[in-house]
Amino acid sequence: MFLNRQSIWPRSLRFTATLLLCSLALLIDCGKKGGKTEGKERSTIQVKGSDTMVNVAQAWAEEYAGVAADVDVEVSGGGSGVGIAALERGTIDIANASRNIKPEEAELAKKNTGKDPKEFVVGFDAMAVYIHKDNPLEEITIDQLKQIYSEGGGITKWSQLGVKIPDVSNDEIVRVSRQSSSGTYEFFREHVLGNKDFKLGSLDMNGSKEVVELVGSTKTAIGYSGMGYATESVAMLSIKTDAGSFSPTVENTVNKSYPLARSLLMYTLGEPEGAVKRYIDWIVSSAGQKILQENGYVPITTPASVN
Amino acid sequence: MEPTAAVRFSRNSFVRNKERLQEIARWVFFSMAILMIVPLVTIIGYLVCHAAPSLNWEFLVEVPKRGMREGGIWPALVGTIYLVFISLAIAAPIGVLAAIYLNEYAKDNWLNRLINLAVINLAGVPSIVHALFGLGAFVYAARLGYSVISASLTLAIMTLPVIIASTREALSSVPMPFREACWNVGATRWQTIKAVVLPNSISGILTGVILQVSRAAGETAPIMFTGAVFYKAVKRGDFFPYQLTDQCMALSMHLYTVTTQVPDVKESISYATAVVLLGVVLMVNASAIGLRIWMRNRKKW
Repeated sequence: MFLNRQSIWPRSLRFTATLLLCSLALLIDCGKKGGKTEGKERSTIQVKGSDTMVNVAQAWAEEYAGVAADVDVEVSGGGSGVGIAALERGTIDIANASRNIKPEEAELAKKNTGKDPKEFVVGFDAMAVYIHKDNPLEEITIDQLKQIYSEGGGITKWSQLGVKIPDVSNDEIVRVSRQSSSGTYEFFREHVLGNKDFKLGSLDMNGSKEVVELVGSTKTAIGYSGMGYATESVAMLSIKTDAGSFSPTVENTVNKSYPLARSLLMYTLGEPEGAVKRYIDWIVSSAGQKILQENGYVPITTPASVN
Repeated sequence: MEPTAAVRFSRNSFVRNKERLQEIARWVFFSMAILMIVPLVTIIGYLVCHAAPSLNWEFLVEVPKRGMREGGIWPALVGTIYLVFISLAIAAPIGVLAAIYLNEYAKDNWLNRLINLAVINLAGVPSIVHALFGLGAFVYAARLGYSVISASLTLAIMTLPVIIASTREALSSVPMPFREACWNVGATRWQTIKAVVLPNSISGILTGVILQVSRAAGETAPIMFTGAVFYKAVKRGDFFPYQLTDQCMALSMHLYTVTTQVPDVKESISYATAVVLLGVVLMVNASAIGLRIWMRNRKKW
């Protein structure tokens, strides 16, 4: 019997199998042990939400690894709505949002977890309206934007705005928008469309970068995204109001004259404690705000004091 | 000459026509077969060309820097290895044992037909549906949170039916007379499985299991919903950066984020990430083929 078995099961195969099992056990074991460094408890902060903020959140996490070695920050995107939905269920520590939490969302969070979401303003953004760099248009009014984007709006051609894009025969405006879980989408819908619905037929992209890239490669396109995503192939429109024409610059965002300025927010469940509190404190400190500014957004402290 | 000469083979127009048609058919089939490898070669060539400036050892072991615009992909590579191995460690034993039951023990009754039906249907469920199921079952209901273990369990459920199907196929390729001979000398079913069925089908079983690695490594949707993150700070070359309850980065997810979310990324970085992902998958597949050849050479019949 023994002889028989050995001849049928190749020895090397059994060896390989044993080796595989052992290494797997080691992997899991070490993974657990790795959690503690020199007796000090490691803590993990889970951050999820806004695509507008995901790159600056990533930059914060990258930098924070050098500030506090015992804290792991895990960043994921998905959109402000995704972050807030995860916070409602208590599965994450911090939700990034480029829009304010809705009362019903706060209620749901309270019902599920027993804690009220607490809001932190961690920066400002001017939601920029992007066009292709060859498009001669320089300014636009909120009402014109509404006519372009909202259901029943009358503007569908560039000529209606008095614009002739060079070297392009097609006059149709290509509307680039965001997916509905995006905070930028919600903000645009609230502040530009007055909560009316979007016109059908817009191209809804999954990320701010995709919006800007599509606008940069399509001469007849118009799109909206955070100011941090500007590239060389697009131009940002100034917004014309009764008080004048304002471009999405740092100054216009700080003094709130740019009409589409918004706050970048972080939400926690209840008052944050320990590592989460220290992380948010660091983000609003000058070190964290400097990173925010490097990513193209407007710090909450005046820019002069950050530089 | 004799009448036999007339019926001898000669190349008349009918035969020529027939042979010409045969040649045409051969070339049509051959060109289709060649056409099949064209996309593969083009894809690999295109990727490697674009990835060349970033492809080096440093890229593999370095962590992403400057908002993923520089540095390497170490955390994503390790994360993918974690997810694949843990999900396989869960799915392979369950899948193989279930397949052995279904193939060797199960009688043809309504319960086993139901199980079969379930396996076949589970294999056809799109990965995004598995993702949603994983989110509801593991992240929310089982309170595992967004974590490596949630993501691995989701991947395991996704690969399970395919492991069962491929194992059953390997088991049923063992000829029935082998089993009958064993039973006839008084061996029980379990003794037969252990001594005859498994040794003769192990190469097929392992190939099926290993091929699942490539599916698990490439999936984005299930892990995106359950435990893969955009970014996590990891030390360079650290083999054990994640605990089971942590979230992790993964190659497929990383590829998605650097191409769609991060502005101003060097083109070569996203292409190099794709090459590494493809390389991991191809290496696993090659090892499965190698294993199969090696084991087949040992077969004694």
